[in-house]
Amino acid sequence: MSSENVAVPSPSAPPALPTDDEPKYGGHTRFELELEFVQSLGNPYYLNHLAARKLLSNPSFVAYLDYLQYWSRPPYLKYLTYPGPTLKNLQLLQTERFRQDIISPDLVNAMVQEGMRAAVEWHRET
Amino acid sequence: MDKYMDERFERVQRALTSLIDSITKYTPSTTQAHDLAAADKELSDGLTELQTHQNNLLRIQELRKETEDLDAQIKSTVSLLWSTRKEITGTPTTSYPSSGPRYDFTYTDLLNYARRISPYTLPPPGVTNGVDLSAPPADQQATASAEQTPVTATSDSVPAPNGAAVASTASQPTDPSQPDAAPQQTSFSTALPEHMTEAVNLLEGAVFYPWPGEERIRSGALDLCQRLADAGVDPKGYDPEEQERQRQAEAEERKRREAIEDAERKRREEERFAQMARERAAAAERERLMSHDAGGAGQASPGAAGRQEKKQFQFMGGLDDDEDED
Repeated sequence: MSSENVAVPSPSAPPALPTDDEPKYGGHTRFELELEFVQSLGNPYYLNHLAARKLLSNPSFVAYLDYLQYWSRPPYLKYLTYPGPTLKNLQLLQTERFRQDIISPDLVNAMVQEGMRAAVEWHRET
Repeated sequence: MDKYMDERFERVQRALTSLIDSITKYTPSTTQAHDLAAADKELSDGLTELQTHQNNLLRIQELRKETEDLDAQIKSTVSLLWSTRKEITGTPTTSYPSSGPRYDFTYTDLLNYARRISPYTLPPPGVTNGVDLSAPPADQQATASAEQTPVTATSDSVPAPNGAAVASTASQPTDPSQPDAAPQQTSFSTALPEHMTEAVNLLEGAVFYPWPGEERIRSGALDLCQRLADAGVDPKGYDPEEQERQRQAEAEERKRREAIEDAERKRREEERFAQMARERAAAAERERLMSHDAGGAGQASPGAAGRQEKKQFQFMGGLDDDEDED
């Protein structure tokens, strides 16, 4: 991930700190909207939905996904309430192969199954 | 030491020989006997000294051995120290990529974050997502078989009212040709009926997802923006709360204006009434004056005219009073 950051430093720069007269989008700040979106990426069904809308093959959207990587760094990192799947999927979405493959329901189901099992098993004492 | 002892021996021997010689020559002398006694005493002194010498030697040997032992110990300790040091310096340390970013945080931050995300990363107690916790993880075959084994095990251990029931329960699960009878028997004795498990465990059959669910995504801010965009409103700069506040402010402003207009209208109405009353009073006055001017003809019915006049006067009088109050 770091190498990609080095390769494309400008789009992944985090947004500037908000000012008082920050524009709101439907009553929500950009911070709220992007936080909600980046966390929604943790849901495999949502990724499939995005792929079905052909967004994942859109270069602008891919650039946006790259830009969203600022959520993997402080001070934004600590606002993620689903850090595991969110960051993992964000990282996966940076690869071309995954963006193409997530359209497959089999992969979505496998991710769902794995995620649900991992949620139970990660804290188990073996 | 040997020489020292030899001298003494020789001396004793000499003294003894000379004494014996003197005895054989039948000229014993006490001097020689004294010599012998002195030599003998010196010899015994020498022997004592020899003993001390031997003891000392032994002690020296012991000490030497001890020194050697200690030397060996020191040597082994030093060599151990050296090898340990070599080992320590040779241990490969975890090398963090120096180019990678590093972030400082405190334990308080970490714990706060952990507490905040725990409801979203850890399933509530009892929710297993279909994973059998009694089986070792990552072994699906064992999971499948483990689901079956506890059933037979519990059925065997169920205390039954009579011995025959125990015998039949114990024998039935082993019989694969009767798959229906055995589970029924066990569910009666160990597990609650299905409609009751839900009441006992509110999380019965609940599933935990480690990501935001579809309904949450559908009810979020992004969806609100989408709906605004669909409705033809640019979400940028559009704040429903702000709009609501503006609407409320406008409604209040309108209400206030209406109240002012209402008061104004009421005032005008009253003025109009007063004006009408004044006009009527003037008309009545004119009429009265005209009837006075009519003279004797009007005198024929003074009662009726007076009553009429009084009536009108009363009516106008009421209005007059109103006007006065104003």
